[in-house]
Amino acid sequence: MKDKKLISKIKKSQLLLPVVAMLLVMAVNIIHDAATGAGAFSFFKITLQQTTGNGTILYGRIIDILNRGSEAALLALGMTLVVSASAGTDISVGSVMSLCASYCCMLLAGYGVSSVNELAKPLWLGIIAGILLGCLCGAFNGFLVARLNIQPMVATLILYSAARAIGLLVCNDLIVYVRNDSFGFFGSFLGPIPTPIIITAICIAILSLILKKTALGMYIQSVGINARASRIAGLNSKRIIHLAYIVCGLFAGIAGVVASSRITSADSNNIGLYLEMDAILAVALGGNSLGGGKFNLAGSIIGAYTIQAITTTLYALGVSTNQAPVFKAIIVIIIVAIQAPPVKAYMRKKSLSKTAKGVA
Amino acid sequence: MKNKKVSLNSNTILLLITIVLFIVLYGMGCIMYGNKGFTHLQTFLNILITNAGLICIACGMTCVMLTAGIDISVGGLVAMDCMMIAVGLNKGIPAPLMVGLVILTGIIFGLVQGFFVGYLEIQPFIVSMAGMFFTRGMTAVISTDQVSVTEKSSPLYYAWANYKIKLPFGGYMNNKGKEVLPYIRINVVIALIVLVVIFFMLRHTKFGRSLYAVGGSEQSAAMMGLNVKSVKMKAYVLSSFLCSIGGICFSLNTMSGSVQQALGLEMDAISSAVIGGTLLTGGVGNVIGSFFGVLINGTISSIVKTNGKLASSWPNILTAGLLFMFIVIQSVFAAIRSKKTR
Amino acid sequence: MKTSKKYLSFIVVMMLILSGCSAPGQALHVQTSPEDSGEVLPEDLQETESKNKVTVGFSQVGAESDWRNINTDSMKTSLSGEGYDLIYDDGQQKQANQITAIRTFIQKEVDYIVLAPVIEDGWNTVLTEAKDAGIPVILVDRMVSDDDTDLFTCWVGSDFELEGKKVCQWLSDFCDANSISGNEINIINIKGTEGASAERGRTRALRMAVARHGWNLLDERSGEFTQAKGREVMTGFLGRFDNINVVYCENDNEAFGAIDAIEAAGKKVGSDIKNGEIMVLAFDGTSDQAVEAVRSGKISCIGECNPLHGPRVEKIIRNLQQGIVPDKYQYVDEGIFSAVESVKEVTVDEETYSVKLP
Repeated sequence: MKDKKLISKIKKSQLLLPVVAMLLVMAVNIIHDAATGAGAFSFFKITLQQTTGNGTILYGRIIDILNRGSEAALLALGMTLVVSASAGTDISVGSVMSLCASYCCMLLAGYGVSSVNELAKPLWLGIIAGILLGCLCGAFNGFLVARLNIQPMVATLILYSAARAIGLLVCNDLIVYVRNDSFGFFGSFLGPIPTPIIITAICIAILSLILKKTALGMYIQSVGINARASRIAGLNSKRIIHLAYIVCGLFAGIAGVVASSRITSADSNNIGLYLEMDAILAVALGGNSLGGGKFNLAGSIIGAYTIQAITTTLYALGVSTNQAPVFKAIIVIIIVAIQAPPVKAYMRKKSLSKTAKGVA
Repeated sequence: MKNKKVSLNSNTILLLITIVLFIVLYGMGCIMYGNKGFTHLQTFLNILITNAGLICIACGMTCVMLTAGIDISVGGLVAMDCMMIAVGLNKGIPAPLMVGLVILTGIIFGLVQGFFVGYLEIQPFIVSMAGMFFTRGMTAVISTDQVSVTEKSSPLYYAWANYKIKLPFGGYMNNKGKEVLPYIRINVVIALIVLVVIFFMLRHTKFGRSLYAVGGSEQSAAMMGLNVKSVKMKAYVLSSFLCSIGGICFSLNTMSGSVQQALGLEMDAISSAVIGGTLLTGGVGNVIGSFFGVLINGTISSIVKTNGKLASSWPNILTAGLLFMFIVIQSVFAAIRSKKTR
Repeated sequence: MKTSKKYLSFIVVMMLILSGCSAPGQALHVQTSPEDSGEVLPEDLQETESKNKVTVGFSQVGAESDWRNINTDSMKTSLSGEGYDLIYDDGQQKQANQITAIRTFIQKEVDYIVLAPVIEDGWNTVLTEAKDAGIPVILVDRMVSDDDTDLFTCWVGSDFELEGKKVCQWLSDFCDANSISGNEINIINIKGTEGASAERGRTRALRMAVARHGWNLLDERSGEFTQAKGREVMTGFLGRFDNINVVYCENDNEAFGAIDAIEAAGKKVGSDIKNGEIMVLAFDGTSDQAVEAVRSGKISCIGECNPLHGPRVEKIIRNLQQGIVPDKYQYVDEGIFSAVESVKEVTVDEETYSVKLP
């Protein structure tokens, strides 16, 4: 009896979907590893390894997923707020990432220079400027959505197509390499742990603390559920939506700096390519309704890492980089189809008739 | 009644702005680069040749956007089409059969997308995003190589691609002393036929009008007795069908298939439609506008390329600037309309 | 009524912005060409001047690697001197962009078209158009497919297969010198952009060497000549195979990515493959970082790929101006770099190349 209750509780929980997906991915890995004879649990193995460049570091598939998934997780944080507050998605985050990365590298290398070993400007200036530019882009999106009442997807379409191009322009159509260890730090290691993991953890902690300690989280949700009602209740819904977009841009900026630091260069054409899709997917996978309203930050984060786990697993299975999207597409469709209202209604009807039969 | 009049007016104003903008831009190109051959008729025809595929795709995009939807899978679908054609022809499949196969694939793909959007009520953006992933990935599944169509692999297709339809007027002598007659290629003819057919379909058929009705208001369309789900599904089928034709036009221009083909084409199509006055909220729009949207995109890129000193990212930035402007204008019109109704 | 007037005025304002918007072509022209300082020449003066100048349209692939950037610079400096007017277009790795660019060049009646094709295929249509307009086409770096050889005047670039052969020969000599047998070599290939001449030549050379020396080619995957992709691909490989001891990267940037990935996985790069180090082989050797990597032993061997095509292209154009027909295929001179001491020289196709320190 108790078991049943627990099951129904889990069933109702928003975290069901991402957790089940994560478990599935792990199961695939375990089966694959066992089949290839690499040891069934090599997926979970974390070891300490000596390296030439970085001292002793943690190494393992899980660490790799956490490390690689950092950008998607950062973007998913902002995306969750945006989806919740404005019932729409910000499709510009990938491009904004690229723009911030380009701007940061351009500042550090100097305009028109394609490769430097010495920084042209202090490191903090480049980083802060890159992140601030992200906020600015977010503010622009937010202005269009909140003040001009433009559909979020449409409003963010502008920066989606422009930001990457502006990034290229900023870099004078070059790939700018900043070959300096102090810049590379954000993409490498802090002690034995990859820095992106730490940065992401800090961001998650700060954001959840703010959402917990202040009423901001509640405000965002109430605006998402019914903007007019919240306005009548005394909330400045426009300002809250605007804020959500700025926060989203902020995280895109941070993700951009991390991504460019990883490769110590600003490759405008490739940084953050399709990452907005991953972020949106993470939000959907996390059990959040893309129609706005209630949100679940933990779900989005698990969702983001699940997606990275899927990608890593596909590569490990030998699927090529270019072919992997097919599987992603199928996964997306299954996830959204399960959540689709008509399917849900059908399932409910079926289970009702089942219980009815059981009673009879 | 009054309400309808306003929407009609704003619609025409948007179209008018687009056409004026195109003339202004093109005129500027002629004034600035007249000495660099911009005034030749061929410059304009080159814009058509290069963008023939985009014209077809923008027509399909317009139809989907009329139902307040969006289809971002088109770029991937074009890549898949190009790859299918290149690989198929090299395997010895006759060109007409291959063309039929590509169009059939497009229709089936559209049926699936349409089913998810229309009947399962999933957001069009998400569905077509999955569609984009799927088609791009499938392109790589078919072949990760860059495959080309050569004269050996299919003489017929090769002949189609290289066939010049020379126009009897507007010829000139170039600086090498060769006479250059203006010409178009087959893909332009296909694109213009598609444009005219879709224009009349939207105007004069029941299906065309039902697209507007569904986009205008789903509830009232349903009350009018329209099967909203079916109309939406058909819109996606139409879009993918036109996109396949566009893919063939695109392939006739590039004659090769690769995974990177047509990257970002979906955004070109969407921005063309928006610049052409199609509302992303649905119910308002016209393929003629989208056609001019494509021409504006082409003109900007042509001007930047003719200048030869500007960074190649400028066309994207300028197009995005125009997009911004039109979106803001649209929102202003929307504001007027909602005020009038209130 | 009042509101509609307000919006009408708004539209007027927008139209004004619009006209400002569409003017940037002109404004930017002034902005972005400060290098030709004081070039606010009157239109007619500009025209008479351009009549004496040789106009060259150059369609470049993009800016995907260090090699490419140096190549672009070389072309720009050689062709923007006295007597030349260079129209440069960056294709951003898209073939469709390059096709459009060539059409624009034809429209502008340039005297020569220089094309660095992003892929080998699909150029027939547009190159025929250039031929019909009587404009000679000079290819640099990469080739176009065999069927189209009569459509270009000449080609300048590297013998990619030879580069590959040199590096493979080096590896074979290295094995001999250190008594490593062929079947102990577990090699993976991080290929370049698939279909590019460099990728084809270098891959072909590797496959022939693998067959000849009995190496194990574990897998091949494209890293698209970029650092980011190289790293991603290498990470994937390291997850799948634990016996990799040689990585064959088809350019420097991929090698940097691969080195990052190997080090992040806690393994060592170097030529001591008997003791678990992973040997990285690469191509290009143009950037300072690559030189540094060879000196420190992180990259064991680099097949040089010379990016300085500009002077040679300029010479070809000068010859063509005087009616001299150049050789159809012109290879640039290239060497091989390594800091490993056990191999002093390699012999490929009866030609001996000494292994240099960059």
